[in-house]
Amino acid sequence: MPVDLREVDDGGVLILEVKGRIDSTTAPTLGERLAALLTGPDRRLVLDLGQLEYISSAGFRILLLAAKRADEGGSRLVLCGISGKVRQLFDLGGFLDLFGISGSREEGIAAVR
Amino acid sequence: MTTVERTVANDVTGLEEVARLVDELAAAHALPPGPVTDMQVALDEVLTNIVQYAYSDGRIHDIRVRLTVSPEVLEAEVEDDGRPFDPLDLPPPQLHGALADRAVGGLGIHFVRRLMTEVRYAHVNNRNRLVLTKRLRDQTEADARGSS
Repeated sequence: MPVDLREVDDGGVLILEVKGRIDSTTAPTLGERLAALLTGPDRRLVLDLGQLEYISSAGFRILLLAAKRADEGGSRLVLCGISGKVRQLFDLGGFLDLFGISGSREEGIAAVR
Repeated sequence: MTTVERTVANDVTGLEEVARLVDELAAAHALPPGPVTDMQVALDEVLTNIVQYAYSDGRIHDIRVRLTVSPEVLEAEVEDDGRPFDPLDLPPPQLHGALADRAVGGLGIHFVRRLMTEVRYAHVNNRNRLVLTKRLRDQTEADARGSS
């Protein structure tokens, strides 16, 4: 199943919904989109993973790169919708404390605004 | 018990084909989603390692994948003729530290070991053979079924 990416603009905050699977086949698609969205200073981005089925280490590599890019560019990136199997994978990889993670999309939008 | 076997190429089409095969098997046997997802992630890690590191000649190689479903477990046997590599030899990855210091080297194998019930490696006839086993039900549930 390919990954499906959908962008929603909420008054200057961009929400990127990720649906499907982020594995080594689909990770490059997400990586290119995130790189484009985080190009330029002061970007505000919420990555909504609520419809993500699973993410492998190839996907985490992309998320790490995006978070570093956001830090370096003075942009704000927050993840939300992390539950169930996806949360377990974040936990196994030691990523729950590493990324900015919000409990809901609304909280995520407030956090980056 | 059902076994399906597929020979795939060491490239992205091979990874997609194996993911599809797992989906088909899971649907045909109504397997519980949690263990199936764990197997999908583990196979993505194992096959990605083979695609990226097993060969240096730039040629297409055959990877043999055999999936077996039994009442208790889902098992995947992956065989390649690349350079000998025992993933169980790898040290655990660094899972702490600030964003700037974090790398994901070794993370894939860490996922495989933690997500699977059992992982076995052998080097046989110049081939790497990795067997991933995932229990389909938690042990207490299986015990309860056994005693009823």
